[in-house]
Amino acid sequence: MTRTRRPEALIALALLAPFLLTYAVLFVWPTAQLVALTFTKAPLIGAGDWVGFGNYERLWKDRLFWTATWNTLYFVLLTVIPSTLLGLAIALGVNRLKGWAQSLMLAAFFLPYILPVSVVYRIWSWLLDGEFGLLQVPIAALMGENVPVFRVIPLFIPTVALVTVWWLVGFNVLLFIAGLRNISAEIYEAAALDGATRGQMFRRITWPLIWPITVLVATIQLILQLKIFDQIYLFAQGGRTDATLSMVGLIYRSAFQKNQGGYGATVALVLFLLIVAVSVLQYQLLRARGQR
Amino acid sequence: MKRAFWAALLSSAFSVSAAQAQEVVQWWDFLSGGDGARMKQLIDQFNTEHEGEIQIEATTLEWGTPFYTKVQTSAAVGEGPDVMTYHLSRLPLGVETGTLSPLTEADMTAAGLAPTDFQQANVDAATVDGQMYAVPFDIHSVVLYYNKERLEAAGLLDANGLPMGLDGAEEFKAALDKLKEGGLDQPLSIHDSTGDSTWRIFYSLLNQQGGQFLDENGEFLSGDNLDKAVAATDLMASWVSEGYAPPNIEYAASIARFTGGEAALHINGVWEVPTMTDLHAKGELFEWGAVQLPVFFDQPATWADSHAFAIPNNQGNEMTPERRAAVMQVIGWMAKNSTFWGTAGHLPAYNPARDTDEFRAMQPNATYSSLAETAAFDPRSPLAGVGSPVYDAAGNFLMPAVNGELTGQEAMEGMRDDLQGQAY
Repeated sequence: MTRTRRPEALIALALLAPFLLTYAVLFVWPTAQLVALTFTKAPLIGAGDWVGFGNYERLWKDRLFWTATWNTLYFVLLTVIPSTLLGLAIALGVNRLKGWAQSLMLAAFFLPYILPVSVVYRIWSWLLDGEFGLLQVPIAALMGENVPVFRVIPLFIPTVALVTVWWLVGFNVLLFIAGLRNISAEIYEAAALDGATRGQMFRRITWPLIWPITVLVATIQLILQLKIFDQIYLFAQGGRTDATLSMVGLIYRSAFQKNQGGYGATVALVLFLLIVAVSVLQYQLLRARGQR
Repeated sequence: MKRAFWAALLSSAFSVSAAQAQEVVQWWDFLSGGDGARMKQLIDQFNTEHEGEIQIEATTLEWGTPFYTKVQTSAAVGEGPDVMTYHLSRLPLGVETGTLSPLTEADMTAAGLAPTDFQQANVDAATVDGQMYAVPFDIHSVVLYYNKERLEAAGLLDANGLPMGLDGAEEFKAALDKLKEGGLDQPLSIHDSTGDSTWRIFYSLLNQQGGQFLDENGEFLSGDNLDKAVAATDLMASWVSEGYAPPNIEYAASIARFTGGEAALHINGVWEVPTMTDLHAKGELFEWGAVQLPVFFDQPATWADSHAFAIPNNQGNEMTPERRAAVMQVIGWMAKNSTFWGTAGHLPAYNPARDTDEFRAMQPNATYSSLAETAAFDPRSPLAGVGSPVYDAAGNFLMPAVNGELTGQEAMEGMRDDLQGQAY
């Protein structure tokens, strides 16, 4: 036994080595460097003086950091669950269609997803332009006057969240469709023979069987939306960027605009830990619910 | 087939030897749109005139923070270009990060230029701690665009067709009232939805009172500068609150309000001059003009910035003296041929380039060129300039105050404390 085991282990190691090496060089080492950077007052490029926990103290007292954290979590709340549920709802609808009608509807919902963020920004900033925007017609009818939504702080994050859901929901639909197609038609036939209603079929068959996909979609969305930057940056440009800042926005501003690499790294590390904690927590919670 | 191959090989061999004989200057800029097209024309002209000696290889990159980040990181590893465009307002941060190579007197001689060829304020803006780091190429600023037909009907044009009776905060409002009587609901158009555009007007108004945004001790809005800043903010806010200009207008919409005839006066950058010229040439615009900003307070002053040329400090990859001489020759040629650049709306920084018949005939540029004499450049600090914390703070405090969400006093105190807190 032992004689054959050693060469096997060696072969395994040799086969694993390229991956391990790449992973160490491209991920582990830069991460370690990032952690080291948080203890220095480094500029964007090059080394800096050791400041111990100075950056962490500054972070704790930085009003902007707390605004950014709140904005990020608020944005996550407004996007992750709605876009997951909406994705499922649309997928259920599209799944009932047949042939070209199905393809057409799927394409219609998927189309926004292939747009780059700059185009999404252009479309919506024109639609909602305070003076000439098309959507200002219904808004004015409802509110009595034009509302420059991207310049009204309480409306900012919800509006960007809405645009984001519109933009990204197509991908969720696709994942759900794949999941729905994996559920065997025989199960539904058997249920129908037993006289199950459509509501019962959804609750007893579709929902439990699609659950792993729901968990996957929600987790992908969660990680993606915690890293929110582009849309908020574009829509807030020139405006009250402090009140609408996201965490990645704060990293960008510190490191690239103000040349404070050390502080930027500190915010980045906190965001990294937050993403790890929240996604592990969410995955565990949702999985536990699914196994019941 | 075979012959074509040999011919190709032969010609590439020739082009290699030709390339060795001439200096190829790598050039980066952030000029797109109308600016970019005009710059490309200048570069092509240079390349034609210097065939076999110097050739410029130009790359246009994304304007603003992305450009400056790329320049900084590439210079740090010796991969930057030989010459690049740079905003003078951004120079202090560039020097602090060690991105720029200082320009010596020998460099200036190689370019055939002297500091006296430029306005003193312009040279000061190109200098940090007594050392010159860039050669100014233009001065760009904000001007007052006006609708001749509307102003004439309101009796606001003098015999030369220039606006009159706009100087003074109260007089300006009286003029706006006359335009209102002429049937314009909101006769003034300003881009008041962002910090950058409001900052340019605000900074002009602050300097018209002799106010200092940042004093010699590195303090923001110290002493009575705060009161002057509040006065400037309150004046702008009153244009909105008293109904002369609508709040929260986006950039394109602010231009459209003017060109569409809804507003007769429009404050915007000189870079929109080509837009107006082109529209007018197509017969889609009324008779229009542009003048230096009125004097709202005690003295004339207008915010200004400069596009300039700088050499990156390519670490570990210093250029040869021959290459550097070629680069300076490029910079000198550009300055001396910058009259044409005026068609983009900018004022050529090189004094002799503004002192030509060609420039004097260029309207309305020649009319507003007087602003160069009282140009107020952004504060000299790594926190100021294009895409800087000062611009962000303007978006966070000044812009909401102009739109009536904060009082002038709250906004300026907030802006002062915010910026002072970042100066660490």
